[in-house]
Amino acid sequence: MTVASQVKQTLASLKGAQATLELYAQQTVIEQEQMAFANSLEKISGIIVMLEKRISAMEFEEPQYKGF
Amino acid sequence: MPDWITIIVRSLLMYCIVVFLLRVVGRKQTSQMTFSDFVVGIAIGAIVALISLGIIDNLAYGLIGLAVWLLFPVLTNYLALKSKAFHDLLYGRQTVLIQQGKVMEDNVKQMKMTGEELLAQLRRKNVFNIADVEFALMEASGDVSVLLKPEKTPITPKQMEWQVAQAANPQTVILDGNIIDESLRNQGLTRNWLSTELEKAGVTVENVFIGQVDASGDLYLDLFDDAIQLPKPTTKALLYATLKKCEADLESYALATKDQIARKNYQEAADQLLQLLEELRPILKR
Repeated sequence: MTVASQVKQTLASLKGAQATLELYAQQTVIEQEQMAFANSLEKISGIIVMLEKRISAMEFEEPQYKGF
Repeated sequence: MPDWITIIVRSLLMYCIVVFLLRVVGRKQTSQMTFSDFVVGIAIGAIVALISLGIIDNLAYGLIGLAVWLLFPVLTNYLALKSKAFHDLLYGRQTVLIQQGKVMEDNVKQMKMTGEELLAQLRRKNVFNIADVEFALMEASGDVSVLLKPEKTPITPKQMEWQVAQAANPQTVILDGNIIDESLRNQGLTRNWLSTELEKAGVTVENVFIGQVDASGDLYLDLFDDAIQLPKPTTKALLYATLKKCEADLESYALATKDQIARKNYQEAADQLLQLLEELRPILKR
């Protein structure tokens, strides 16, 4: 497995976690938890953007691995 | 009128009066009753029995006696509410039995307790070692209340500086196979959501004895058929594990890459995730 595909895997699981967090943020009735979830969603989307940029940079450097 | 009819009529009358009036007079559990409440209760019972069996011939006299016994305690209770001194006079005061770890022998004697009885009362409070007790007193009702020494009290999350999730009472959404719409609405959920959750668990509503939703929206089900094994809700634990794995991944990428900017970015992201995990821990891992 190449580094690029590993990073892509991490990106995928982060996106999954983000979706689950979003679900919980909707479900909970406790304000404190809502805030904690919202805060973590924000941070995770920042990380996701960073990873996506990194992946496109890697694909640019090594086009032979593009799509893997 | 034959005697037996008189007795039936009187008994029914007394029953109605007493049950109705005791409702008005107050509702104290037997365990909360003080000695004077107890005496009053017995006196009322005796008078009622005597009237209903016709031993007190004159119904009016009987009712007068009953009225005094029923209403005078109401008056004294009212005064006791208003005046602390009167309250103490009527119900007695609490007595300190152990102070700063030392038994107050005089007070114990005054309460007509032996050392063995004191130890027995402490054992009832799960205190087997008198050295653990900082403070103990006997309430006016005769119960013994115990405060343990600080080093012997159970640890609380605050002492450990743990963050704990806020507690909220769960809503019972299914009882005996019936959906309770009101509690669903309280939680901001719909029947649609519930049917989806039930489908996920693979059961029908009819088979659910109790279904409860906790504050974060997890559904706990207890089925009539105890042979069926339900999957435990593990989504939160799984989410926590996923985030933790992502954090570890990012950290290893930071170590692996030679690109300085990427390394910095990875490291920052890993730190952020770590911080976030700390924050979510009490919510996801309870």
